[in-house]
Amino acid sequence: MQTAAARGTNLVKVYGHGDAAVRALDGISVEFAAGQFSAIMGPSGSGKSTLMHCMAGLDTITSGQVFVGDVELSSLNDKELTRLRRDRIGFIFQAYNLVPTLSAAENITLPMDIAGRKPDQAWVDRLIDTVGLRQRLSHRPSELSGGQQQRVAAARALASRPNIVFADEPTGNLDSRSSAEILEFLRKSVHEFDQTVVMVTHDPSAASYAERVVFLADGRIVDEMAAPTADKVLDRMKSLGD
Amino acid sequence: MVRAVLKGVLAHKLRLFLTAIAVVLGVAFVAGTFVLTDTMNETFDTLFEEVAGDTDISVRATSGFGEDAPIDSLRDTVPASVLEVVRRVPGVQAAEPTVTGYAMFIDEAGKAVTTAGAPTLGFNWTDPDLSPLTLRSGREPQRSGEVVVDAVTAKDHDFALGDKVKVLFRGPTEEFTVVGITGFGKVDNLAGATLAIFDLNTAQRVFGKVGRFDSVEATATEGVSSLELRDRVAAAVPPGVEVVTSQAVADESADAVQEGLGFFSTFLLVFAGIALFVGGFIILNTFSILVAQRTRELALLRALGASRRQVLLSVIAEAFLVGLFSSVVGLGLGVLVALGLQELLKAFGIDLPASGVVIQPRTIVASLIVGVGVTVVSSISPSRKASRIAPMAALRGGGVEQGGSLKRRSLAGAVVTALGAAALLSGLFGGTISLVGLGAALVFVGVALLSPLAAVPMARIIGAPFPRIAGMAGKLGRQNAIRNPRRTAATAAALTVGLGLVACVSVLAASIKASAADIVDEYLAADYIISTTNFMPSISTELAPRLARQPELAAVSGLQTGDWRSAGQTRSIYGADPGSVGQVLKLDVTAGDVGGLARGEILVGEEELKDKNLEIGAMLPMTFARTGDRELRIAGTFAKNQLLGSYVVSTATFDANFTDRLDFVVLAKARAGAAPADARAAVERVTADFPNVQLRDQSEFKQQQEDQVNQILGLISVLLLLSILIAFFGIINTLALSIFERTRELGLLRAVGMSRRQVRAMIRGESVIIAVLGAILGLAVGILFGYAIVGSLDDEGVGKVVVPAGQLLLYVLLAGLAGVVAAVFPARRAARLDVLAAISYE
Repeated sequence: MQTAAARGTNLVKVYGHGDAAVRALDGISVEFAAGQFSAIMGPSGSGKSTLMHCMAGLDTITSGQVFVGDVELSSLNDKELTRLRRDRIGFIFQAYNLVPTLSAAENITLPMDIAGRKPDQAWVDRLIDTVGLRQRLSHRPSELSGGQQQRVAAARALASRPNIVFADEPTGNLDSRSSAEILEFLRKSVHEFDQTVVMVTHDPSAASYAERVVFLADGRIVDEMAAPTADKVLDRMKSLGD
Repeated sequence: MVRAVLKGVLAHKLRLFLTAIAVVLGVAFVAGTFVLTDTMNETFDTLFEEVAGDTDISVRATSGFGEDAPIDSLRDTVPASVLEVVRRVPGVQAAEPTVTGYAMFIDEAGKAVTTAGAPTLGFNWTDPDLSPLTLRSGREPQRSGEVVVDAVTAKDHDFALGDKVKVLFRGPTEEFTVVGITGFGKVDNLAGATLAIFDLNTAQRVFGKVGRFDSVEATATEGVSSLELRDRVAAAVPPGVEVVTSQAVADESADAVQEGLGFFSTFLLVFAGIALFVGGFIILNTFSILVAQRTRELALLRALGASRRQVLLSVIAEAFLVGLFSSVVGLGLGVLVALGLQELLKAFGIDLPASGVVIQPRTIVASLIVGVGVTVVSSISPSRKASRIAPMAALRGGGVEQGGSLKRRSLAGAVVTALGAAALLSGLFGGTISLVGLGAALVFVGVALLSPLAAVPMARIIGAPFPRIAGMAGKLGRQNAIRNPRRTAATAAALTVGLGLVACVSVLAASIKASAADIVDEYLAADYIISTTNFMPSISTELAPRLARQPELAAVSGLQTGDWRSAGQTRSIYGADPGSVGQVLKLDVTAGDVGGLARGEILVGEEELKDKNLEIGAMLPMTFARTGDRELRIAGTFAKNQLLGSYVVSTATFDANFTDRLDFVVLAKARAGAAPADARAAVERVTADFPNVQLRDQSEFKQQQEDQVNQILGLISVLLLLSILIAFFGIINTLALSIFERTRELGLLRAVGMSRRQVRAMIRGESVIIAVLGAILGLAVGILFGYAIVGSLDDEGVGKVVVPAGQLLLYVLLAGLAGVVAAVFPARRAARLDVLAAISYE
């Protein structure tokens, strides 16, 4: 295993107080190796999204430590967290990934444009060709299909060569063909472009594209699986009572 | 359904506040205007009742203008013998003469005791039983050299019993001893006027009415009614004398004041109307946005079985509630506005008496109707849109961005603009002022309909430098301003109205100033202009003759002006010194003989001569308030002179037909070869004795004209500020609603690394674009209005259009700045957005 792109130790996240307190994360320690495609799975309410949000600096943990690369997140203020997300993390959400007033090309380079940095044009071109959107660059999101929109989002997530890309149910709103395209692209970006991707999903066939699956239930890691297949994942999920 | 609406309104208090404020401010202005004018009306009514209270009839000279003579047209005096005639009529218990005239106090420092528009009155002391005066201290004036002062003037200028004071009359200044201080009924003075009261003989002498009275006031004996007494006395008095009841005199005065106040209240209501008009835009825009945002919710209602009518009514009901709430708040605020307006007018030199606060039922009803009406009417179009939402839209979701072609809307806009322009122009050139107002309102509506077309290209241009200034945030701000052109345009339109009117008034003011300077150059020959601050006819007739005796001056003429009538029409006439008028004014007598003036003849302007088909040498029939029907021979005609009007007679002829003549200006020309410093010193030696006048040379005079125009411009701009303020709240409201709508997008931007500062910059950019867009459209409309109005004023001597470019540019910059300020609150909200909540928001 290589060095960790992101890791968390003893992560606890509590919502609410007193009797109403809910432990969304209940002492999780996890590492996501650089250059690996990982998936986080678990039934609804298992804490998988919360884990991702905390790892990505979108949410704060109640106790424990989160590192992205060698940066410890709890020591950062909002400004530094924002910069960290901008420069070192890529995001793909389930939907509403794009700014409607910007073209596909502008959406792809958005984080760099926000930072006022020049994008690495060769790299961006390579991503665009890989997602197959060369002909659609000047289109607005409203002129793109759902699958195309997600591919633009995927290209954006990788455009600034972040330390790690977090994908939150990236195929949740897509048909199977579009889903396959996105997942194929994520796998390619790890294997060919040497990127790191962590994907939250509840779809076993999506998880099968990953090299490693972490299973969550009730805020704890209950299992891990290397080289998953859809069937193996499905079986494991059934035993978790999804 | 009603409960659902009520809950909906209350659930969004901030939104309610921002929407309501547009109506609140407008209604407060309306209510404030009513409260102020009603209060003043009542103050005056009380006063006039007070004046008339103790007498039953008034005996006075008939007016040459007949029954409907305006209160301010000066009547002739009656011979003193009338008093004895009245006293002998059976049923008259007591009768007292009155003599009034111009009397201005001069304070210890030698400065004139001026008022802010109220008269400086002098009159004779009469029997307290017949007089509204009530001595506060001292005694009544008994002999020459004694004066009684009103309590306010005495207090303000430290006049105490036994003090020597100077009083300025038509003739020379005289010195008096203060022997008494008086109130006016229960109040301290008469609506801001200064009062100087003398014994009868002194009053007759100083007012130039020896052996004459202005009127005789009488009371009836027990059992005789005023009407009966009036008829009895009327039968006894000589021809040329009329008898009216004191109540009728009070009513005349009250009517005159009411007419004046009516004009004043209309003037203020126009600005209140503008504010409400702007408020209407904001309501329309807000409800449009709300309906668009609630598409899903409304569609769900439809899917659950609500009828179109119910959806329509639910939106209108919401508007009704907002309108009702705003009107009630606005009404309460109106009392404060009334006080504020009074202070504002005072700051601009219009001091009006008002005591207490009068809230009439009319004020309440009008405020509620106007507030609720504007809100409900403005919500009709959005609620119709809401009722057309198909139940299926509930399933599709989103649908916030309005699509559809702008073609129909633009066509309607073009038609409305054209109609408005036509109404405006026909109103300006020969039509009524309300047609002008209607035209202007239509033009603004039309421009608002058309402006979405201009919004996109203009926003691109205005926002062009933003990406360079603020990078991606600037670019996104610009894109956001463009993404919904209707919304941007509608928000900007509110500002367009206010700034359009400000720009129009600025163009008008600049043009008038330029023309005023031109008029001085073109028509005035005098080196020195002596006048009072407000050009009221209150310069002593002593001044001009004394100036004329100064060796350094070549020519001096006082000018007088008054009204005369012909065939029911009132016209102005000017009096001047026939020997010198040609030297102090560039009077170009093109035909006839100026010398005729000295023989009691009249000069008529060329245009007027042609218009009225008059001929030199013919007799011109004229009716004067004092002397009735007269015929003057037309001596000649002169080329247009803006300073003289169309009818000129000699001062002697003027004096013969008007009472209480005072000059409104005295013009003097230095002798050729006299050093300017010497000439000026000579004038100052004389004016020093007349503290109520000011001396100006030509350039000082031009400056004063300019100052006066600036003052009016200032007042109007302040009154328009409210509309601009409402538009400003409109921008805040639109931005806040847009941000709410774009929660997800903002969350995404923050997630992928946009800092709070950048979010604020983005909102600010959008706000500035909206504000500047509104300002530029406003200026464009305003400049065109300015051209139209100046064009229609050609006859009044406003010849050329001057566009104050620097000033207008400043307005655009200020609008931009206002945009920055308007963005503060929405931007802070956007920046504080909880990123996680925003991206998980469904």
